Amino acid sequence: MNREPQIEYPLRRQDIYAAVILIVLALFVIVESWRMPREFLGFPGYAGPGIVTGLLGLGLLGMAVTLLVRACRRPGAGVAISRTDIRSYLANPPTRRFGLVLLLCVAYLLSLGRGIPYYITTGAYLLVTMAVFRAASWWVIALVSGLAATVLAVVFNKIFLVPLP
Amino acid sequence: MLYGPYYILVEIWNLLTPMVLFHVLWATFVGTVVGMLPGLTATMGIALLTGLTFGMDPKYAIIILLCVYVGAITGGSRSSILLNIPGTPANAAAALDGFPLAQRGEAGPAIGLSAVSSYIGTVFGIMCLAFLTPLLGQLALKFQSWEFFWLGIFGVVVCGNLTAPTDPLKGWIAGFLGLLLSLVGQEGIAAYSRFAFGFDQIRGGFSLIPVLVGAYGLAEVFAVMREKTHIKIPKQVGRILPKWVDIAQNWFHMLRSGVIGVTIGIIPGVGEDVASWISYDFAKRSSKHPELFGKGSKEGLMAAETGDNACIGGAIVPVLSLAVPGSAPAAVLLGAMWLHGIRPGPLLMVEFPNYIYEITAMLILAASASLVISLVGVRFQIKILMVPRPLLMPIVFTLCVIGSFAINVRIFDLWVMLAFGLLGYAMRQYNYPAAPLVLGIILGDMVDVNLRRALIRTDADITPFFTRPISMILLGITLLVILSRMAWFRRAMTAVFRRRRTGAPSTDS
Repeated sequence: MNREPQIEYPLRRQDIYAAVILIVLALFVIVESWRMPREFLGFPGYAGPGIVTGLLGLGLLGMAVTLLVRACRRPGAGVAISRTDIRSYLANPPTRRFGLVLLLCVAYLLSLGRGIPYYITTGAYLLVTMAVFRAASWWVIALVSGLAATVLAVVFNKIFLVPLP
Repeated sequence: MLYGPYYILVEIWNLLTPMVLFHVLWATFVGTVVGMLPGLTATMGIALLTGLTFGMDPKYAIIILLCVYVGAITGGSRSSILLNIPGTPANAAAALDGFPLAQRGEAGPAIGLSAVSSYIGTVFGIMCLAFLTPLLGQLALKFQSWEFFWLGIFGVVVCGNLTAPTDPLKGWIAGFLGLLLSLVGQEGIAAYSRFAFGFDQIRGGFSLIPVLVGAYGLAEVFAVMREKTHIKIPKQVGRILPKWVDIAQNWFHMLRSGVIGVTIGIIPGVGEDVASWISYDFAKRSSKHPELFGKGSKEGLMAAETGDNACIGGAIVPVLSLAVPGSAPAAVLLGAMWLHGIRPGPLLMVEFPNYIYEITAMLILAASASLVISLVGVRFQIKILMVPRPLLMPIVFTLCVIGSFAINVRIFDLWVMLAFGLLGYAMRQYNYPAAPLVLGIILGDMVDVNLRRALIRTDADITPFFTRPISMILLGITLLVILSRMAWFRRAMTAVFRRRRTGAPSTDS
């Protein structure tokens, strides 16, 4: 009897890794919940602070195991990640763009709250990000980043009285 | 209840001040822009504005957030029609027929029809909100710890089921993760610090706004910036005002979509996108011309747009009566209400009975402003749509930073936002919906406190969880939702029904 070819599940590998991470997380939650005090400030043990977290940890563990078993049964990519996989992932333009955005965001967050005026850090972040991603011509980028940083600082700090980092 | 319309009129009259109208107009416009720009959603808009309006009078802050909500859901259809890219997930169904209409040179009428059906849907939802909230509020007064515990679980399970229709397991995982994340920090009964590990910043738990801004706003920024997009907008827009005959011919589709939208809205955490798809599906099934759906059907466009907008009112019903959000934007709205000292829930009807009518009046103003902005400013909105994303998204990120920082004025919240942004981005990449995560974060404290309080009240006797009538109903629906997604259960049910059907003639004879 001819069997129909099974359709490959595209997220098999990702599901397996996610399930493993979730299992570790759930086990950590269960252990930590067990270690929480049973009788705290006179409240009985059955209503201790770890009861709900423990139950949720058990629930998450059950679902993560289901995800793992299901992903293992499905046809699709193998679990092992080869060097070629990593190289092609890193060479992928969307991955590179994401990495760049993340790097710029982290750099901007690190620059905040260090005594540098808000409009300078924000203006610099906007200028660099827009320039890196070639958002428009250089003079438009310079104008927009400068204007946006100034307007944000004035509108939120002076008009809405919102504290700025 | 008969005095309801009178109170609504009184509240509208009270709101008709120059300052309120000013806020209504600019906030609805901002909402429309947020909605129509792909990558900016209603949830993100409300989360951002919550932080930015934190210092304002609560009345103005809430009306601004409601206007952003209505404006964003209505405005989202703009990019669906013109670009075939939904402005918000709620407007995905509108793209199926809106874009073919635009390609036929009928972009203007399509925008007009979507604006009018959005308005009708919103007003229908608002009327249901005014009528149903007191009723649900009465029922909510019967809720005690057992029921609130099951309500939290019910919300997460149903939301996970409906927002991840192809893989509900991932929706439930996201929901449970949200519940767990909400329990980080000091708990509500004995103030014990859970999972803080000596870090003072974590003792207070994760602030809701940085979490929401991260999960929706920053995740969106990452997702948009990683792709290169080229925007092409049709040059011919044509007449915007829709023909009355189109509206009159489709009144039943709009009415049915309104009912669907409100019903979906009331279900915790599900939201506008599901309402829109179900409305569209029902319209297609009942249409005399189902073959036109997906090729520029006005029925399809109107049904989808009425459904998602009616959902707004529906989603606010459980917010006000149970303090449980009906959609992701409503979850942020609930958080904003808490921040401004408003305590929605069963006691709202007892303590501030007029507040429902105030919200109703605010929504009516928002819907009216949204209709005007949608019909009048289309050409200007098209110009905004043409702004390149790499120019816009960095500015959106700086707004995310201000919004997250403004609530507690601490840099730690910015890192929380970044962490949840990465989590939200990863979840999106691997098909985990964000809505159950957010709902879990909102409902976590309710689940925790009520389970433990119930156990204390009954001295660890768990039978009331399974014997009280409302608990039984909530538990029954929750189990049914879970079982209905199991293949063996569906097979067993099909076999039972088939056996009954085939056995029926023999019993008759």
